[in-house]
Amino acid sequence: MKRSLLPILCCPVCKGDLELRVARENEEEIVEGTLECRACNVSYPIEEGIPDLLPREPDKG
Amino acid sequence: MTAPLHPEVYAPEADTYLLCETALNECRPGERVLEVGTGSGYIASHLQARAQVVATDISPHAVREAYRAGVAVVRTDLFAGICAPFDLVVFNPPYLPTREDERLDDWLEYALDGGEDGRMVIQRFSREVGRILDQDGRILLLVSSLTGLPEVIGLFEKEGFHSEIIEKRTVFDEDLYVLRITRRPGT
Repeated sequence: MKRSLLPILCCPVCKGDLELRVARENEEEIVEGTLECRACNVSYPIEEGIPDLLPREPDKG
Repeated sequence: MTAPLHPEVYAPEADTYLLCETALNECRPGERVLEVGTGSGYIASHLQARAQVVATDISPHAVREAYRAGVAVVRTDLFAGICAPFDLVVFNPPYLPTREDERLDDWLEYALDGGEDGRMVIQRFSREVGRILDQDGRILLLVSSLTGLPEVIGLFEKEGFHSEIIEKRTVFDEDLYVLRITRRPGT
């Protein structure tokens, strides 16, 4: 996903903002990383350039 | 040569082409467009030459196909993970009436299955779409005669929207319509 997509994304459950963590990025886009919702304590993955915003279990710890 | 479409992704058909042509006529340059349930990404990829297009799908296979077609795609249910207002929302929903005993467990089935009356997903969409639609935004919705046109119009009516039939095409045993849906003034 391109960085410009970030402002239009939200947590699918609480609709709150997401915090981007980049693991791998090329000239065009973020290839691997996570989108974190602090309120829900959930990390949504970005894999092969595609953000996955399906509800999931909270992070451990 | 490009790789063939994943077998569990809906390949563009008459309904796709009708909605795509209508959306190309409807979309104004530079508009913010969301395509819900993009499948192969066919419509979104045609619209992005003239507008800022984002697409969603719940299927893991569909999002990969749409990504491969060059579409900015997000895996999410309808628009659950999307928060911005859009000028135009385009949706070719799962609309086939499907009984429990007819149900198969794969992603292509999920793209077609509209529940017992064919309107299950459309109803959910009608209740929630206001959150991501600009005050003056428009929705283009593909509806089949198999799904019940008056009933679909009624669902949106109940949520404060006005529907107008802007395209119609007959394909074998079904009539396909495109509705342009907008907020009723004062709602």
